[in-house]
Amino acid sequence: MVLSQENTSDINAKVNSMVEIIPAGNLLEPISESFFSFIKRSLFELSNLKFALTSFVVNNLRRRYRRSVLGFAWSLLNPLTTMIIMTTVFSIIFHNNPKEFGIYIFTGILPWTFMLDSITGGSLSLVDAEGFLKKVYIPKLFFPLVVVSTEAVNFVLSLSSLMILGLILGMPIGLSLLSLPFALAILYVFNFGAALFLAISTVYFRDLTHITRQLLQAVFYLVPICYPLNAVPPKFLVLFKINPFYYFINLFRIIIYQGQFPQPKDWLVPSVIAVLALILGFLLLKRTEKDIIFRL
Amino acid sequence: MSENVYIDVENAWLKFRIYKNRSPALKEAIISKFKPKPNITEITEFDALKNINLNLRGGDRVGLVGLNGAGKSTLLKMIVGIYPPKFGKVHVRGKVTPLIELGTGFDVELSGRENIFLNGALLGRSYKQMKSLEQEIIEFSELGEFIDLPIKYYSSGMHGRLAFSIGTIVDPEILIVDEIFATGDAHFVNKATNRMKALFTNSQIVMLVSHDTDKIIDLCNRVLVLHKGEVINDGSPKEMVDYYLKEIVN
Repeated sequence: MVLSQENTSDINAKVNSMVEIIPAGNLLEPISESFFSFIKRSLFELSNLKFALTSFVVNNLRRRYRRSVLGFAWSLLNPLTTMIIMTTVFSIIFHNNPKEFGIYIFTGILPWTFMLDSITGGSLSLVDAEGFLKKVYIPKLFFPLVVVSTEAVNFVLSLSSLMILGLILGMPIGLSLLSLPFALAILYVFNFGAALFLAISTVYFRDLTHITRQLLQAVFYLVPICYPLNAVPPKFLVLFKINPFYYFINLFRIIIYQGQFPQPKDWLVPSVIAVLALILGFLLLKRTEKDIIFRL
Repeated sequence: MSENVYIDVENAWLKFRIYKNRSPALKEAIISKFKPKPNITEITEFDALKNINLNLRGGDRVGLVGLNGAGKSTLLKMIVGIYPPKFGKVHVRGKVTPLIELGTGFDVELSGRENIFLNGALLGRSYKQMKSLEQEIIEFSELGEFIDLPIKYYSSGMHGRLAFSIGTIVDPEILIVDEIFATGDAHFVNKATNRMKALFTNSQIVMLVSHDTDKIIDLCNRVLVLHKGEVINDGSPKEMVDYYLKEIVN
């Protein structure tokens, strides 16, 4: 691209020199740009919107707690109260040890909520952004990224509440927590890939957002969140093993609940799934990038 | 004038598709697979822009005239990159300030100050840049202490003043204007008109869409007449405006 050789001192010049448009041919045909250079260009465009990204995320969070007395504290308190209620109820019903079971449940529920909110919220992100996309030039992947980043911040805050709960219940805080950022990064990549893919698909098939929601509701029971995996009859175990969501939750369980460093294979499977999701999202984006605006 | 600022458009076509059924629902997409005649999603295509060729260099002040729906705003949006052309090429180089719709991305729940940053971010500016412009924007908009109130409490005049002040704060190399003339009281309109004039003089390339033909003659040195997506005439402002008023309006 011509512009990449330009003096990069001026952010605006960079942004706008990207308006260079490659001949599109038939809109749904893949354009003559390699996948690698497409990703490079996309990331370059995004790098100019770093400030926009943080502004959007911060504003999303602010809006959630605007005008409440406790403000941001709610993002810690909300998950904390939910956890306390559920731990109490479940330990009464199932006569489980609240310390063990509470932590068990929440190492499952928190990553699950992160995935659920990113994916369902992300799937509508482009449709909802119609007003922006038709008025200013913004790369399409910006909007799913905003949703996933907002949820990631929420997730980190919820994890902190879990740590607080853990301290109250006397959970040992071990060195294994050092691997938490890596697990978070992997899940972030997966969520972004999935959200990007679904956001684009939803522009073409609006029903998809409802279908996704229903499917995820079913999947919830196929992830050992509210019950331990050993409560599952062995013949159904395969259903859990083919479920990609299981591997992400498993990762967080090992780190927080078991307090151990995950084994290489515990890292490998979710990483591969995450990268695949990301590639799939980018492939679809490359194919449809110049068509999306006409479908909104 | 710097050689580095230009707009080149080569044989650009832009097609819009109109869906009778705007977004094909998944169910229908599946049903239509089994139906002998897939007639559920009828698509009509129409050419919003046909065979556009433009080579603009520093010093060009181009006015676009045409009836409603002639493709004037669409052409501006194609140059800004919102609509990619179906065929042909669009090359733009230079710092572009699009004054197409002011106040894009305003969040009514946020304060005026927060919106300055949000809007600036959407225009591709950095935090540092916005921080240095913040005070100037607030002063120009004359919002005073209202700047820290959520903009949902603003009058439409205040809203417009803020949007105008953010949009026009930086001198662009390429200025793209779509019928933006400030709203507000006489005092602000006067100030804004001067700001616009300064922007016009300081920009290297200007593209202006307006139905105010006097303004076009006054501000531009070249005018394109658009009709049904085509540039049907191109020349000096006075001649083109006469042509447009005679041949197309009547």
